[in-house]
Amino acid sequence: MKKFIVLLLVATLGYFMLDAFFAIDFGINHIKDLGSVSAQYLVNTKVLKVANAVTSIVVNFRGFDTLGEVTVLFLASTGLGSVLFRKRKVHTKLNPRRTSTESSKILTTAGKILFPMILLLGAYVFIHGHLTPGGGFQGGVIIATGFLLLLVTFRKFAVNHSTLTWTEALAGATFAGIGLFGLTVGKNFLENFLPTGTLNNLWSGGIIGIIYVAVGFKVAAELTGILDTMLSITVDVEDEESTEN
Amino acid sequence: MVADPILYVALPLITAFLLPLFGRIHKELIRIIPGFLFLFLVYNSIVLLTKVTTEHQPIIVQIAGWAPPIGINLVFSSFSGFIASIISVIALLVWIYSYKFKKIEFDNALKYFVLIMLITAGSIGVVLTGDLFNLFVFLEIVGLSSYPLVAFYRGRDGAEAAFKYLVIGNLASLFILIGILIIYSQLRTLNMADIAAHIGTMPQKLKVTAFIFLFIGIGIEAEMFPLNTWAPDAYSQAPGPIGSVFAGMTAKAGIYAMIRLLYTIFDFSSSFNLLLVMGIITLVVSEGIALRQSNLKRMLAYSSLGQMGLLMIAFGINTKAAVVAGLFIIFNHAVIKSLLFLSGSLLVYNSTDKHIKYTHGIAKKLPLTSLLFGIGAFAIVGLPPFSGFWGKLYLLMATADANMLGLIALILAVSLVEIVYYFRVVNGMYFKKAEDEIEIQKPKWNAVLTMVILALAIIVVGVYPNIIKDYLANAADTILDKANYIHTVLPSLAIN
Amino acid sequence: MKKVLKIKKSITMTEELMQQILKYTLYGGSIALILIGIYGVLMKKNLIKILISLSVAESGLNLLFISVGYVMNGTAPIFSPAVVDKNVLMVDPVPQALVLTAIVIGLGVTALGLSLAIRLYRHHNTTNIDEIRNLKW
Repeated sequence: MKKFIVLLLVATLGYFMLDAFFAIDFGINHIKDLGSVSAQYLVNTKVLKVANAVTSIVVNFRGFDTLGEVTVLFLASTGLGSVLFRKRKVHTKLNPRRTSTESSKILTTAGKILFPMILLLGAYVFIHGHLTPGGGFQGGVIIATGFLLLLVTFRKFAVNHSTLTWTEALAGATFAGIGLFGLTVGKNFLENFLPTGTLNNLWSGGIIGIIYVAVGFKVAAELTGILDTMLSITVDVEDEESTEN
Repeated sequence: MVADPILYVALPLITAFLLPLFGRIHKELIRIIPGFLFLFLVYNSIVLLTKVTTEHQPIIVQIAGWAPPIGINLVFSSFSGFIASIISVIALLVWIYSYKFKKIEFDNALKYFVLIMLITAGSIGVVLTGDLFNLFVFLEIVGLSSYPLVAFYRGRDGAEAAFKYLVIGNLASLFILIGILIIYSQLRTLNMADIAAHIGTMPQKLKVTAFIFLFIGIGIEAEMFPLNTWAPDAYSQAPGPIGSVFAGMTAKAGIYAMIRLLYTIFDFSSSFNLLLVMGIITLVVSEGIALRQSNLKRMLAYSSLGQMGLLMIAFGINTKAAVVAGLFIIFNHAVIKSLLFLSGSLLVYNSTDKHIKYTHGIAKKLPLTSLLFGIGAFAIVGLPPFSGFWGKLYLLMATADANMLGLIALILAVSLVEIVYYFRVVNGMYFKKAEDEIEIQKPKWNAVLTMVILALAIIVVGVYPNIIKDYLANAADTILDKANYIHTVLPSLAIN
Repeated sequence: MKKVLKIKKSITMTEELMQQILKYTLYGGSIALILIGIYGVLMKKNLIKILISLSVAESGLNLLFISVGYVMNGTAPIFSPAVVDKNVLMVDPVPQALVLTAIVIGLGVTALGLSLAIRLYRHHNTTNIDEIRNLKW
């Protein structure tokens, strides 16, 4: 009975969506007229001397959204820590890494070789965010993947959470701080106040490159923290029926 | 000191990022620094509100220096600024209350204050922004900071309530994004004023579909029936002060988003009737269920949902008198509900299931708290000389002006229901004998201070409602005048 | 001369056909993903499966975003040294920026949801949502 209602609901939803979206043009060049927002972005990104239009949108034109996004990640990592309380680490048999077997020789050797290369790739991606596709988020995720490789391969590998907290906090504060610093020099929040350099150089775009590097560090630190917290599931000693409210 | 709408969002963010580091310097800083932040936000509100009132012009902040529609802008008008100020005041009061909250030890205190700062920043961001996608991002910030707050305590019910809230909230984001996508695909812009100016060029079918998706998505956050099933669990499982955070901050952000949707972005005349009908349903169903509740916090939660229904009715009537009444009720609900949650959580502090029977006879042991709870109860059902009376009166007058006499009878009948279940509790507090004894938690001076400030606000506005009524009439003009909004944000566009 | 014209006409017709095929596949496929995800959220009983369905729906939504921003024969909106001087057709960069934000937000919500699922499993020793339903009306 419930299945029928749900299917009906989904079918109605699907009908509305298909109806709406098939009425939307696909592939039409809507950037032609200079008045549209996308055309202005493409023009103004050259003014900012940033080659990657998506980066300039993400960090400068709509940088406020990115600040919100960085906050969301920070919330996810904080919330995770709050929900899974890591106050006292008592390893129990619920911890999957204790019960799994030792990794094979291939995995351990390859892991050690691949890890620095993955880090290098990630760093390259977020440093060159304004020149090539990619950026802070992509680069940060790549770096976190490198750490994930180590976490899964080596049972005794643990990340220093203190370092992660410091990196996270400082990187986030750098982003918001650069924005606020813009206020003190008389411009608007997050407005570019550094010289913009030349197009397609590594040094171009003023604060955009710096912000993206900070974002890269922050995302890497946060994702690694999330992965590490989840992989070292701990049980608090007095976990039972306390339903204090 | 500088006062700028952007500081409402930027300062809490940077403080929240740095709070773990402050904590390592000295533990007590974690509890003190948020206080300074909230004090500054209240100062910010006072300065900006006076500026907006004297200049009769909303303050527009262009972030990153790019004018809309390229850049994102914040709009601090007498309407949005009013709600933002309420949010910052409630945040300050919640901080005073939670400063020495016994159930929060060090490690958790860090997360607690970070989450409270971010939920404040998120709610104010929702209220001040002028960009549709930015609205979505800030709604996500509000949501993601509420989920861990609901699951804050160690019991299992909190996690269940939080999980349910998370899944439903995520569905809401999905719907909002679909709506934004449909709008973007046609108008190729995301700025609210720009969309409002060009909405006429959108094909009707797409406009209706986009509206429905956005309405459902925002309705989930604004606690509209039947999408508010997450709310009673979330309110009752969260810590006491968080109940007032949800009622006073996040619900306000949700209803503000709904108002923006109907009054500024879209131009359907039938959308207001839809909101009115949904408001009626929400009001009736929530108050009816509240009657059957035996858990004090759940009862307060359902009563809160009923008030949201009342707000939807007020903004659905769409006349100036109704909007003024609605704004008055927003103020009332934030202040009175916070008082009720804060005092209510003290009354049943040490019980596990928050049953009302634990409040029987409690007036002898906690006289001040019971009195304050009583004041809150009297205020919310609308008895004079408290501020709740004026809010309901203005709403009834606006309804009469709009010739919806059946609605008057409905609101009065629902108020009667409210009187029944609130007085049940007050009666029990004063006149019934305590059957099960539980340990009483005497409130500390900071909790008492918070509750007394709220009660005083209720009484003062109750005796002199014109203090804020004149201001609200001005604010109502701001929200009703769409052309003025468009012209202020986008001066390059001709007024149509 | 006529043959050249005829070939040209059939090429543009194929292009249009290609455009229509792409449109229906992309839009239809992403919407199907979203619907599958929503169905999963409403019907599935396992906590983890509910979260995975949410992920699937979000992926569908992100695909839909990108499809709306596509411009036929457009290239990536990056002014690399090869295209910086020519006036080349580019796709719309705005949906890409929006999707970047949406993906990260979805990631955050999924992580939090999983942590709540872990905690619920610890308390109840089951991931079946029917057995966990403690809170009632």
